Amino acid sequence: MIEIKNLSAEIDGNEILKGLSLSIGDGEVHAIMGPNGAGKSTLSYVLSGRDGYEVTGGTAELDGENILEMEPDERAAAGVFLAFQYPVEIPGVQMTTFLKTAINSVRKARGEAELDALGFLKLMKKTCKELGISEDMMKRAVNVGFSGGEKKRNEVLQMAMLEPKFAVLDETDSGLDIDALKIVADGVNALRAKNRSFLVITHYQRLLDYIKPDYVHVLAGGKIVKSGGPELALELEEKGYAEFSKNEAA
Amino acid sequence: MSAVIKLSNRYRPETSALALAGWEAFIADTTAPSWVQALRKRSGEKVRMMGLPTPKLERFKYTNIPAYLKMNSLAFSRVDMTIGGHKDYASDLLMSFDQDFVQEMLEVAPAGEGKYGDLMLWDFANSLIANGVVIDVPQNTMMDMPINIGYEGEGGHAYAPRQIIRVGNKAQVTIIEHHTGGGAYWHNGVTQIHIAKGAKVIHYRLQESSHESLHTQNTHVEIEQGGTYETFTLTLGAKTSRNQIHVDLLGSNAEVFVNGINLLKNKQLGDATITVEHKAPHCVSKQNYRNVVAGQAVGVFQGKVHVHQIAQKTDGYQFAKSLLLSPLATMNTKPELEIYADDVKCSHGTTSGQMDADALFYMRARGISQSDSERLLIEAFIAEVIEEISNDDMKERVALCVNDWLSKQVVA
Ligand SMILES: Nc1ncnc2c1ncn2[C@@H]1O[C@H](COP(=O)(O)OP(=O)(O)O)[C@@H](O)[C@H]1O
Ligand SMILES: [Mg+2]
Repeated sequence: MIEIKNLSAEIDGNEILKGLSLSIGDGEVHAIMGPNGAGKSTLSYVLSGRDGYEVTGGTAELDGENILEMEPDERAAAGVFLAFQYPVEIPGVQMTTFLKTAINSVRKARGEAELDALGFLKLMKKTCKELGISEDMMKRAVNVGFSGGEKKRNEVLQMAMLEPKFAVLDETDSGLDIDALKIVADGVNALRAKNRSFLVITHYQRLLDYIKPDYVHVLAGGKIVKSGGPELALELEEKGYAEFSKNEAA
Repeated sequence: MSAVIKLSNRYRPETSALALAGWEAFIADTTAPSWVQALRKRSGEKVRMMGLPTPKLERFKYTNIPAYLKMNSLAFSRVDMTIGGHKDYASDLLMSFDQDFVQEMLEVAPAGEGKYGDLMLWDFANSLIANGVVIDVPQNTMMDMPINIGYEGEGGHAYAPRQIIRVGNKAQVTIIEHHTGGGAYWHNGVTQIHIAKGAKVIHYRLQESSHESLHTQNTHVEIEQGGTYETFTLTLGAKTSRNQIHVDLLGSNAEVFVNGINLLKNKQLGDATITVEHKAPHCVSKQNYRNVVAGQAVGVFQGKVHVHQIAQKTDGYQFAKSLLLSPLATMNTKPELEIYADDVKCSHGTTSGQMDADALFYMRARGISQSDSERLLIEAFIAEVIEEISNDDMKERVALCVNDWLSKQVVA
């Protein structure tokens, strides 16, 4: 399980997260919703260890281990996965090379045997098939020339192959039409498991029709300002975030 | 014949080369063939008058040769050289069958008339003429195996090996040079290549000279109608190196490809200075370079495409990308296009930057270590130029050299 306590973080001296607390049990799916600029992506980067995001207070523990002190690759090995809001294009690095290096780095760090070329190909083909990703895409450079939908499906593909304990999905629905959204959501749902927790970040309720959360939280002004069940998402859809934006200004 | 150089009254020759132990004695050596003695003497006079190129010359702004000579005391000697592979048409310089041709070639002034720096190194090399290799391939000869030339530098020495390569109509040859060595030495090589109609020369250079050495290479290529010169240099070695290539496209439909990868670290300096002269219509020239500069190293790329008025329908391309791995690494790039014909297609581009931080984070977020991520990005950065190496064995060999360099370089 993941336990975030009183987390504060800043970028360039500006405090963005201001004492955020959140606890996600094994197998649970939590959604975080909030207005643009609330700090949702910041939370995802702080949890995954991006440079430039300075933690000024609090802790984030995955199964009792403080992940904030780890390097980004150590966090990935420990089981943290971030599906990026804007997946990065890496010209010249082929998808298969990238995936194989990632999987074997993680397996090695977890004390598991590395996959040989054949074992890797099998896993890749199987996962591609499940997610409706063409194998041709795997011959291309990482995210280069991928459509918006392909990029997001590629994030889910990586998640499936890296088998995280805790996955953060940052606006995985943005830029997707309804068909692409369904494929991505199906992919995520297929990965739901007893020992895996999800934090689904979204601005719109729409995604939550397809990925049904156990809990919904509202992030505004760098804190969780309200928590509830799935019905909270519907409420937000109706009323918008105006109420919370006012809080922030106050 | 050497161009006449007018000296200003204030000109002070840089004469550190004269301090090379044995230089005077070598020029005065009476056991060499008389024409060799005469050439050394004539060239020696010019060296005394002109000295060596200094950073005061525009073309040597970044690459200081005298500074190296002041810090290292060197004695002149013949170079330790081996010729392997397909040897039918290769011979030692002074034992070549066609001595008239050799003598004539030795005194053809380098192109780029009036370029003092080039003449200085050329004359210096001629004053020390001793050994080298002549490759003389008759027309219509297709050589299926490469000619391998190995140079082994030895600390405390300076030498000026000469390569003269003549390839007849429709003949084809692949030449692989490999430079290694230990200690501080100066390898000042001069290579002249003449490619006749429809002929092709593929020329690879793996420069893994000692990291204490000075490596200067002056290559002059002439290509006739429909001929092709394809060259690739991997620069890993030397403390200071300059790979200077001058290509004259003399006949229509000739093609030249000048590629290179420079991997520099510590306090190395690596200079690639390339000039392509389009002197005939319908020719193609492509330059494609990658520089990876680590530590406090300095990279230099000076590329010039000169399209003469007659050279209509020229297709000229020049590209140099540089990746700086440390804040103290430097890259100096000077691309130049000089176009006097109106119907041409020319493009050039140089970029210089650091490793993409977003890409690095993306990879690390997938569990790939910092050093592996950097490695993948550097490999991706140079991949295109490796891909353009047409000989598969060489492609593999270069990839291995690069791997080896990366495994020593990228230590997180
Ligand atoms: N690199 C940055 N430098 C300075 N401020 C930033 C940077 N990135 C984001 N911010 C600011 O942090 C706040 C939260 O941004 P973000 O986490 O992206 O919000 P959300 O994902 O909720 O839309 C915003 O006010 C934004 O302007
Ligand atoms: Mg965001």
